[in-house]
Amino acid sequence: MAPKMNGIGIVPEDTHICVVMVGLPARGKSYIANKAQRYLKWLSIPAKTFNVGNYRRNDAPHPSADFFDTNNAEGERKRRAAANAAVSDMMKWFKSGGVVGILDATNSTKERRKWVVERIASEGVEVIFVESNCDDEELIMANIRDVKTTSPDYVGQDPEKAALDFRERIRNYEKVYKSINEDGDEDHLTYLKIMNVGRKVYINRIQDYLQSRVVYFLMNLHIRPRSVWLSRHGESMLNLDGRIGGDASLSHRGEEYAYKLPDLVRESVGSDRPLTVWTSTLKRTIATARHLPKEYNQLQWKALDELDAGVCDGMTYQEIADTYPEDFQARDKDKYNYRYRAGESYRDVVIRLEPIIMELERSEDILIISHQAVIRCIYAYFMQKTQEESPWVPVPLHTLMKLTPRAYGTELQSYRANIKAVSTWRGKGSTAKHEDPVPEGGV
Amino acid sequence: MDTLLTAEIAANAPRYRRRSSTFIDGIHDVSDEPGNLAPAQLYSTMSGRLFHSGRIAIVMVGLPARGKTHICVSLARYLSWLGVKTRIFHLGDYRRATVEGGHVPQDYFYPNASPASVMLRQKILKKCREDIYAWLNHENGQVAIYDAVNPTASGRLALAKEFAKHDVQTLFIESYVDDQEILKENARNVKISSPDVSDDGSSDPLQAVDLFKFHGMDPDEAAKYYLKRIEEKIPVFETMEEEELNYIKMINAGRAFYYNNVSFNYLSHRIVFYLTNLHIKSRTTFFVRAGPAAEEDSYKADGPLSEDGREYAKKMTETLLRHREQERQAVIDGDGPDLPLRPLTVWTSTRLRTIETAEPLKELGFKVKQRSQMSQINPGLCEKLSERAIRALYADEVEKHELDPYHHRYPRAESYHDLAVRLEPIILELEREQSDLLIIAHESVLRVLYAYLMHCSTMDIPKLKFPRDEIIEIIPAAYQNEAKRIHIRGLDPKTIPGSPEDIRIPVPNDPNGQDSPIPNLSSLPEPAEPVAMGAPEKIVSKKRKGMVSDKVADED
Repeated sequence: MAPKMNGIGIVPEDTHICVVMVGLPARGKSYIANKAQRYLKWLSIPAKTFNVGNYRRNDAPHPSADFFDTNNAEGERKRRAAANAAVSDMMKWFKSGGVVGILDATNSTKERRKWVVERIASEGVEVIFVESNCDDEELIMANIRDVKTTSPDYVGQDPEKAALDFRERIRNYEKVYKSINEDGDEDHLTYLKIMNVGRKVYINRIQDYLQSRVVYFLMNLHIRPRSVWLSRHGESMLNLDGRIGGDASLSHRGEEYAYKLPDLVRESVGSDRPLTVWTSTLKRTIATARHLPKEYNQLQWKALDELDAGVCDGMTYQEIADTYPEDFQARDKDKYNYRYRAGESYRDVVIRLEPIIMELERSEDILIISHQAVIRCIYAYFMQKTQEESPWVPVPLHTLMKLTPRAYGTELQSYRANIKAVSTWRGKGSTAKHEDPVPEGGV
Repeated sequence: MDTLLTAEIAANAPRYRRRSSTFIDGIHDVSDEPGNLAPAQLYSTMSGRLFHSGRIAIVMVGLPARGKTHICVSLARYLSWLGVKTRIFHLGDYRRATVEGGHVPQDYFYPNASPASVMLRQKILKKCREDIYAWLNHENGQVAIYDAVNPTASGRLALAKEFAKHDVQTLFIESYVDDQEILKENARNVKISSPDVSDDGSSDPLQAVDLFKFHGMDPDEAAKYYLKRIEEKIPVFETMEEEELNYIKMINAGRAFYYNNVSFNYLSHRIVFYLTNLHIKSRTTFFVRAGPAAEEDSYKADGPLSEDGREYAKKMTETLLRHREQERQAVIDGDGPDLPLRPLTVWTSTRLRTIETAEPLKELGFKVKQRSQMSQINPGLCEKLSERAIRALYADEVEKHELDPYHHRYPRAESYHDLAVRLEPIILELEREQSDLLIIAHESVLRVLYAYLMHCSTMDIPKLKFPRDEIIEIIPAAYQNEAKRIHIRGLDPKTIPGSPEDIRIPVPNDPNGQDSPIPNLSSLPEPAEPVAMGAPEKIVSKKRKGMVSDKVADED
């Protein structure tokens, strides 16, 4: 297989795309931009977000609302200079192998968009505008509350004052805001307009495959606040023997975890609202989910099954190293790409997980009970782990993880069940049955 | 085998379905083999339904000449490729089967039609719906595509309600066109390019007499006339604005989309994704092998073409260009419009011999693109082993391979399934390409791409053969694709057969002794085209006109 190949086989051949965000503050622009970046990187497509606000902060670290008033010439000049600096850096980045650059700013006027197109298209880069348009007050307020606590603009400030200032800032933008093609004279632009978190979507003039892929992904996003819960199955009989794969039942301690899981989940959710549970089709995940409350809808996905170890299924690492010494070494050298004989690689798992990721993005309150390699891939997606890191991430048994995507990154909380279990983590080169993960980088 | 004839007989049978034949792809066929996975299917489920999406009716909306049938056939091709069990129900087939000769009363589509016409309409609709429910409820179908005009909002609301009662979700896809140029071109392509309507024209609701008028008419005039007749025939059409329905509006052949999503999930997003890559222009695809390489080839080595290989590249180029010119002349001779040739784009893999095979075309100024996803199937450890050695070394693997040559992987190798999944971006780019396309690639890649366009079963894919002395041309017709073989004359026979560079994975012996990618050719009692060896310079499929005129009647 060609070395340039990535998760879904896209080799972008000379395509450079600039995704230009459009929308008022608190419409989830940064959130969308970061999500898109994370997704593309997960699929091995070089992507980077250029946040104009970060450039502007060099000049004006904690600006008040009137800085954003269009009548404020000084503010306007500084914001334009920041946009220009961000675009220049992006162009440099394209030359060093970048493929999808994301320009994160409001770009809320026709003039600004015209400037962006002229500036970027002249360098042979395709421009696609992505607008998040929302008139749901509740959603906007939720976003404001989220931003005022996490935005670097308001670090160390009184939250109440910050919220007021932020609303004032939005009002200044609203005065001049024009939705894309609102006047019908921007029909020549390539754009995606998402109204009220995907309830309505406009797509205009998609030019190539990669753009369609980006649009496809963004359509699946929503910006409602939510979390995803991940857990491995309870300890299995094969885990006890240090054997991989198989379709074994839970050990005694694994059963204990299954009993404890409903409490653990309730503690983590913080309320009685029901989650939707996704398991694999293997016995040990279904058994782990079986004591969850009746009102939790449960679905089994074949795509959540453990990485298929092929001929090594059911073996210990020592047996693999004895039977297939070359394979054992090859795997440690490039664990992400190594494919077990008649089995799968991590890369293969990422490919088959793509529908799951899409479905996960458009859902709320999902609890996934799956397997070590699969959880690693999903974890890598949310936490932006590289291909070198992700196959080695420790995911201990009997632990529930809660991932909460935020505008500026994903938050992780772990809940331990305090039920003993063997460790199934394995260090590079090791054939130990049960080994304690190296402390740093632990989940 | 005349598709239309088959349609008329079959549509009166308890369960109507279209049939494919030798040169026509199998998009309307339903596999009865249990456990037969689709080419790019990632997993299977007990229910046979994927993505937890339940049962879905995709309902087409749009006036004639808006490319509806093309959209639903393409969509069915893609969904089936992903493993979603999909069938198309063309209401036109039912109308033709119910009304002799397809003559419907003048007021058939009028909102204030006479009671007799309304009754007739109800009868036709009922039969079609019954088949849809049978497919979704008893034949394990997941998606039914309902190809009809569906012109009114009230009709669509009622339809969605009725489907919901049967626990079927409804997604509407409207093809909305207000660009006069696109309309005219569609009308021209669909209707005017087939003046020979004698075998079918009588079934057109616009009536044969109208169509005969097109003969010898200025194409623009004829297109205008045709569009006017559509308006007279179907006076009321309301574009979709129903807030409460799930719908995708495809505007001016994919220039823009509007997507009103009430409750849909992954599968519908995937459909939008596919549609953003689809266009409705007609173009052909050619498949050809790369020439033989100079040194003994291997997967890892990347040798240049041999002398024979360069000779081959030249002859292939000449044959292809001559063929295109002949086709154009044939259209003109048949009183068709004198249109310039469509541009031709060439795709190769990143392998040297495919790039060099495209060299003569590149020198002539054709655009050549390299696509690294199109690199051949990875042979893994079996590379360069003889069949006997593979049988000796991996006896178990050979046994498994013979059971399922499509999904089985030799040690460290790719299976055809892996290849198909990796080729998905190519498939979407293939749909996106508007020029005629020549694909020069390894036989394994040609097999998979051919299988996508011609809807072959996974059992057949590893057995498809592409001898070097043939260019395969895939021509889109209204209801399906057809394949045509163009013979390349004067090649050294030793370069033609098999794949000397092919990995020698022992594909099970083919009982039919097929020598063409066209599936089950020799198993048919009476092939529609002569397939004797020493095939003529050019096989012109007589089907083509039939196919297009078949489409003439598509009005519901």
